[in-house]
Amino acid sequence: MPSGETTTQNDTPLADPAEIRRAMEYYADRGWTDGLPVVPVTESYLAEFLATTSRDPDEVLMPMPQLNRQCTVRLAAINAALAGCRPDYFPVVLAAWESLTREGYATRGIWQSTTGTAPLLIVNGPVRGRIGLNSQGNVFGSGFRANATIGRAIRLGAINALGLRPHQLDQATQGTPAKYTACIAENEEESPWPALHAQFGLDPSDSAVTAMIIRSCLHIEARHTTVPEQLALDITGTISRTGALIHETISALVVLSPEHARLFSRAGWGKADLSEFIYQHAVRSRAELAAVGKDAVARQTRWRLPADHPDAVAQEPPDDPDAPVQLIVSADAIQIVVAGAPNAGVSSIVETFGPVDRAPMVVKVEEKK
Amino acid sequence: MADGILLERAGVPAVSICTGSFLLPAQAMARAYGFGGFEFATVPHPIASLDSQQIEARARDVLPEVLRILGLES
Repeated sequence: MPSGETTTQNDTPLADPAEIRRAMEYYADRGWTDGLPVVPVTESYLAEFLATTSRDPDEVLMPMPQLNRQCTVRLAAINAALAGCRPDYFPVVLAAWESLTREGYATRGIWQSTTGTAPLLIVNGPVRGRIGLNSQGNVFGSGFRANATIGRAIRLGAINALGLRPHQLDQATQGTPAKYTACIAENEEESPWPALHAQFGLDPSDSAVTAMIIRSCLHIEARHTTVPEQLALDITGTISRTGALIHETISALVVLSPEHARLFSRAGWGKADLSEFIYQHAVRSRAELAAVGKDAVARQTRWRLPADHPDAVAQEPPDDPDAPVQLIVSADAIQIVVAGAPNAGVSSIVETFGPVDRAPMVVKVEEKK
Repeated sequence: MADGILLERAGVPAVSICTGSFLLPAQAMARAYGFGGFEFATVPHPIASLDSQQIEARARDVLPEVLRILGLES
């Protein structure tokens, strides 16, 4: 209704709000939600989502044979609609599922794990502007429908298509707030470097989604330094915190604010220089690891545990307990994107799951012409 | 949790052992395989932080339950 007009009896809405509430309660009662209300989905509304892709509705996006389940294009569309996506967001949701499947941890069962990970989606390219994805201020926060609902579409798919409900097949000890939704866009316009998708072979005019499996999102406050080595060490110290050490080595996504990215760029550093610096400096001494009971690794899983644990790989006491132990397996374990407002020296470390030593899974968004 | 069910389906008698903390997800897994009556043997939680003797004690304590589920005389 245009502003300034008054309501008349003829403006009475066609839908009865009580009926809408009844539909929402029905979805909640069936356990088809993440705890928040969902959008009721009809066949005709589902058709609007499926019309945005040339893919077969029965095509399997993510197989999960150990659970007797799978996520198809149709199930992904239903859950995107439930999540509150607009139909034109759906090509991004499809690329997200494909990236998650290729990333590999989800299909190997990480979403059932006690660690309690969540998917993080990073979107690049012109689709960001077309559907209103936020890449600037409050990029990890609330307030933007595309970010909020695209991330949520994956969670609802995990619950409804794959059957990963908490207290049942989802065994997360605590989980993470990112399990509601976690989708950011890269602030390519205020980055001094190539965007993530261009870095891994796509054209900058393409749109892409890169999915990662994450546990924590930690923030870096460094508002006053102008020395790249100081800022890089501050970041490295956060990445190499002992609490993050599940496995023998760790991996991370560094989400730099434009101000921090420019600090490095002005000093002549590229993304690869920062990744390499972090790789070289992410160390703890054997004594530091022993002090927290993580100086050895388990025989099969290579998880970190105390040297006197019955499952520990036997090792000689070190000649020098202060000798550094490398905590990252290669510079590829550290990826870098730029996001957020250009208003402060504040950045984030996203702790990605597992000892990653390969390029991230960048998947092109296929928009139907 | 799924392995025991798959072994049983393949004709190999099997018992899956988990700690009590994992019984609910184990039962959810059994239902996902259409085998809601699959019986799990449970031991007290935790396991990861036990020493060798404590682990052996857990194994000894659960053995009668494993034999019972297998249908063997203990």
